Amino acid sequence: MNENKLFEIVARVFNVSIDEINYESNPENIENWDSFTGYILLDEIETNFNVKFTMDESLEIEKINDFKNILKKKGINFE
Amino acid sequence: MEFIKNMEIKKLSHYMNQAKIIKPKNHKNKIRIAFVGSFTLNGFEETIQVQCNDEKINCTTYNSPYNQFNQEVLNENSNLYKFKPDIIFLLIDTRTILEDSFYFSNIDYEDEKKKYAIKKFNEIKNLIEIVTKKIQSKIVITNFTIPTYTSLGIYESKIEYGIKEIILDLNKKLKILSKDIDSCYVYDFNSFVTRFGEKNILDYKKMNYGDIKINFDMIPYLIYDFLGYVKPILGLNKKCIVLDLDNTLWGNIIGEDGFEGIQIGPYPEGRSFVEFQKVIKSLSENGIILAINSKNNQKDAMKVINEHPHMVLREKDFSCIKINWNDKISNMKQISNELNIGLDSIVFFDDDPVNRELLRMSIPEINTIELPRDSSTYAQILRNLNDFNTLKITKDDMERKIMYGQEQNRQKLESNTENLNEYLKKLNIKIKIKLDDKITISRISQLILKTNQFNLTTKRYPEEQIKEFVENETMIVGCSEVEDKFGENGITNVFIIKTKSNEWVIDTFLLSCRVMGRGIEEGILGKILEIAKSKGIEKITATFIPTEKNKPSENFLENYGFKKEKENWVFLLKNKIKIPDHLQVELK
Repeated sequence: MNENKLFEIVARVFNVSIDEINYESNPENIENWDSFTGYILLDEIETNFNVKFTMDESLEIEKINDFKNILKKKGINFE
Repeated sequence: MEFIKNMEIKKLSHYMNQAKIIKPKNHKNKIRIAFVGSFTLNGFEETIQVQCNDEKINCTTYNSPYNQFNQEVLNENSNLYKFKPDIIFLLIDTRTILEDSFYFSNIDYEDEKKKYAIKKFNEIKNLIEIVTKKIQSKIVITNFTIPTYTSLGIYESKIEYGIKEIILDLNKKLKILSKDIDSCYVYDFNSFVTRFGEKNILDYKKMNYGDIKINFDMIPYLIYDFLGYVKPILGLNKKCIVLDLDNTLWGNIIGEDGFEGIQIGPYPEGRSFVEFQKVIKSLSENGIILAINSKNNQKDAMKVINEHPHMVLREKDFSCIKINWNDKISNMKQISNELNIGLDSIVFFDDDPVNRELLRMSIPEINTIELPRDSSTYAQILRNLNDFNTLKITKDDMERKIMYGQEQNRQKLESNTENLNEYLKKLNIKIKIKLDDKITISRISQLILKTNQFNLTTKRYPEEQIKEFVENETMIVGCSEVEDKFGENGITNVFIIKTKSNEWVIDTFLLSCRVMGRGIEEGILGKILEIAKSKGIEKITATFIPTEKNKPSENFLENYGFKKEKENWVFLLKNKIKIPDHLQVELK
């Protein structure tokens, strides 16, 4: 459920179909993902999951899987 | 449903995505907008493109490279100059302008600090002056946010010229500067931050990450405010508020709850409506016209308006009142007719969602405001609209309300008069024509930007260009003041003529809708022809460019006696020049 929620946010922010999103999605394979829109994504994820990423966490992110790992650390269930 | 205006301001990502897919449409209104800033302004262009598109404005944007506001303005070969903006938004944040003084404000050296503030202000002043002189664009500078923290803590209030006072002083200087420079405006960014709260605007993580100093989802609200400058430049600001009564202007329903049962006054349910009415009244004092469109028994409703002790708005505040059982659409059309204002100049408030939907479907030009069920939100919704801005409040604006009142008297007289000619004679209309008069330029510019109905060519010139025309020897910029027995109408006509050795070409000829239908246009044109003839000119050429709105001026040239020649209308001055005999026309 949370996987779907995460992918939906990514799809909405980058304006792509949710089918194109997976944990390996990254700026290389998503056209609209640049340093600015990447930060918009982070912002949307924080709001929608009601969590805050630390500065260091936000700088670690290279692909969608990194969001999942950090969210899991914050107690969001991805089973 | 693309006409339906949704008041809801969306998240930044919405605008980022929409900007990619909006197709350039050929809207009549076009504007070139530049953002120049000291911090990251990504997302600004996309948001204003989409918001402009929603308002049917073609908008071309430019964003200066990050933090290069000095270089962009000082270097005449910069891309900012090449872009040729109509309006520049200059955003310099408090941290950038104060540099280290933002952190370290010394207690002792008051004089040093004052000198420093003056130096900083002069840097900005220089930029603004260069923009107004060399780029000839309007410029909007955001003022500085007052820091919420000072290292002096509670002692800040005891010292002269602390950090907060420095910023207050800079903001005051900016305001004075914008009073002196016509094309410069100060956007009160400090109030914007107050409205949403500093902690919602500034996120330190984003600031450290990419010098992002305005939180993403706040950007669309800021851009919405910026559109408040764009609309009046293009003459798209609203002129009239039309109001429903029950549960809009007061709580409850007069027809059901009676005079005693309606809610307005100093108690919880009543306060919302007092507040709302006060905001409306303050707008009307700045020249916005008010009207009522309500399904009700006129007698009952008027009793509330005239006699209820807590009503703020009274009968005299409304220029047109339609309280009846007719449908709201035909009422609305009548209001627009009687006040002589376009439907697209109207903002409509009605608590009933069915009425709102009906109005949006049938008259999409009207901005029908989405109102939540909670009446305590009404005042704030009205305050936050960006539709009522003017770049200038002229004496005419302040007097317009009085003039509309006079117009209603005139219409009363009209219905009592047996024939039109006699009516017109009784009006004692005097027209005073002025040529190339610099004092009138701001009113001329206002008329050129907003006159739709009686306008032969609908050419929109910015004020700067009109100044050039006035100074140009081969051009005549004229205007006419009209007065009659009910009072002065102010300047209600503008014409621009290009002169050649034996021919005059009418580039622009317009008449404010307030004075239409009295032969005034014929009188002014006749006088122009007489002047031309006296200067030995043989021929006058004019054109009519049809738009969606200028049908009232379609047959004017032909009816006057102009003859069609290819695309143009021509009048040979050997022919008889007529001026209606109920008019006194003089050249000042």
